[in-house]
Amino acid sequence: MPLYLLHFAQAHNDFRLPELASVAELLGISYTLPEKDEDRDPTRPYMVVELETEEHAKMLARRCILIKAAYEFYAQGPSYEVLHEANRKCEPLWRKYVEDTSFKFLVTAYSHKIPMERQRDAIETFAYMGFLGKIDMKNPEITMVCFEEYKDRTQTPRQRNEGDGDFRQIFFGRLIEEGSARPLVRHFDVKKRLFYGNTSMEAEVSLLMANQSLASSPTFRYLANPGKLVYDPFMGTGSMAYPSAHFGAMVFGSDIDGRQMRGKQQTPGVVRAASQYGLASRIMDLAVFDITRNPLRCGELFDAILTDPPYGVRAGAKRLGRKKSLPEYKKELSRQHRLAPDPEDRPYIPPTKPYELSHLVTDLVLFARYVLKPGGRLVFFLPTVTDEYEEVDVQTMLCNGMEVIANSLQDFGSWGRRLVTIKKTTAEKYYPPTFEDREMVTKDEHVPAHKDFREKYFQGFRKVEIETPQVAFREG
Amino acid sequence: MVRLITHNLLACHAKDCNTNNFPLEFKDIQLEIREAEFNSDFLKGFMPKLEWKALVDTARQLGDTSLPLEQPEMVDDGFLKSLHHVLLEIHVEEGSMTCPNCKHVYPILNGIPNMLLAEHEIG
Ligand SMILES: C[S@@+](CC[C@H](N)C(=O)[O-])C[C@H]1O[C@@H](n2cnc3c(N)ncnc32)[C@H](O)[C@@H]1O
Ligand SMILES: [Zn+2]
Repeated sequence: MPLYLLHFAQAHNDFRLPELASVAELLGISYTLPEKDEDRDPTRPYMVVELETEEHAKMLARRCILIKAAYEFYAQGPSYEVLHEANRKCEPLWRKYVEDTSFKFLVTAYSHKIPMERQRDAIETFAYMGFLGKIDMKNPEITMVCFEEYKDRTQTPRQRNEGDGDFRQIFFGRLIEEGSARPLVRHFDVKKRLFYGNTSMEAEVSLLMANQSLASSPTFRYLANPGKLVYDPFMGTGSMAYPSAHFGAMVFGSDIDGRQMRGKQQTPGVVRAASQYGLASRIMDLAVFDITRNPLRCGELFDAILTDPPYGVRAGAKRLGRKKSLPEYKKELSRQHRLAPDPEDRPYIPPTKPYELSHLVTDLVLFARYVLKPGGRLVFFLPTVTDEYEEVDVQTMLCNGMEVIANSLQDFGSWGRRLVTIKKTTAEKYYPPTFEDREMVTKDEHVPAHKDFREKYFQGFRKVEIETPQVAFREG
Repeated sequence: MVRLITHNLLACHAKDCNTNNFPLEFKDIQLEIREAEFNSDFLKGFMPKLEWKALVDTARQLGDTSLPLEQPEMVDDGFLKSLHHVLLEIHVEEGSMTCPNCKHVYPILNGIPNMLLAEHEIG
């Protein structure tokens, strides 16, 4: 299969290959990664992959949030000599442009600035290609780029133009497609959204989640709704919903706290934000309920669940009920309240009790198995204390028929969060989960590192200003 | 919102309320009709999930009689258009939904139903 050079954004490195895998699956594209580990190292900006056609490279660049651009791959090497030797060998790939194709030629660098003069010299070394077409810097028919890859500056600090020529590898190819999904990161910028709160998820991560879910349209006519239904049971201000809706899905959202979804104006905040993006009609509905006390009549409803569970730092997990059960006379008072609700206190908000994260996550997976269609995906965040994290953590949350297919770390130093993608691999029917209290963890049971995350967080494995778990909104 | 597609998925979930707890009855409602994008795949995919009688009855209560009493075996465009309108374009903005069995009232405020239970209703 022909080779293509992908230029990746240096962000969320751990998400790169899972995103590529998901998008390729969605679009029905098969690809082969480079064999050597160092050539597929996601901390490096360039990667050469095998694809069936150029069209596939374009499709990936239009859909992967982390792809900056795709190129037809010509040659690479640790030095210009090696690169040129390889480039001569692949002449059949570029010969057709020699005669009279207008072109632009760039030599550029990752993590370095090449002095002008040497850029010119480097371009000169390609003279043997003998391009006869006119040079056109504005509207060329083709653009060829030569990338010098330098070591990451964060690892070896140095001046921007220090160590010129000291590159690790050079790549050369012809531009096929600039990544057009990446600008969505700005399009969905939280700060420009009409409604957001202190639990909102940054746009780039929400977009990556949407791509992990596969619940979107494989075409690029976003208005072509693919008929998928996505659910966020911890909807909050709805950050996960907008990218999914943009990619074509209908979204249903619920939250135990209606204020998180409503904000302060009459039109619910989530609807206002969705309208801003032209996606209001793709918000199927919003509802207020506790995931552990849910009114869903049946299962197998959703193609994907995309969610950021409450892990207690910014919005503590709660569930209906009290820590201790109430004495009878108090229950009676509550009953009275229900029968004659205070009009000012509408809707009645029942008391809630804390919900330990590892219980919540185990419940979430069971719940997802019930409400997802066979083949559906659960994509969610799991906070974890980095030092204590073991691979088994994710495994302890699983139940039959739910398999982890991706697990990417977003590293914040002393803590991190993992974006976990779980697929429902069973078509068996299940009863709705009972969400019974699991107060005790028996001794020989593995205690995952995300257990009591909130406590550990507050004990200060990370020094940060902790936002109060109150409702806080910004309205635009 | 609340659209009838969602209404068709919500049952009363109060403790020990397991029979005759669906469909919830709309009361004192305000409706809005809003156009939605038509997608036949979505509708066809959703049809097996619908409680047909509940949908037809509810639509009729709200004044829409376009759906046949029996879910048809063969679906044509006209039928899908009606189904689309009933499921996705009728929005209940205010009012409430009452459980036919235990009479729990779930209020709807600005299009969002409050499905929370009170303390004594939790199992
Ligand atoms: C981390 S926030 C999600 C934020 C959301 N992604 C956003 O964009 O704002 C978690 C949400 O879960 C809600 N929540 C907590 N416990 C819940 C429960 N038992 N059932 C449903 N929602 C719950 C909180 O009210 C909060 O809005
Ligand atoms: Zn009931």
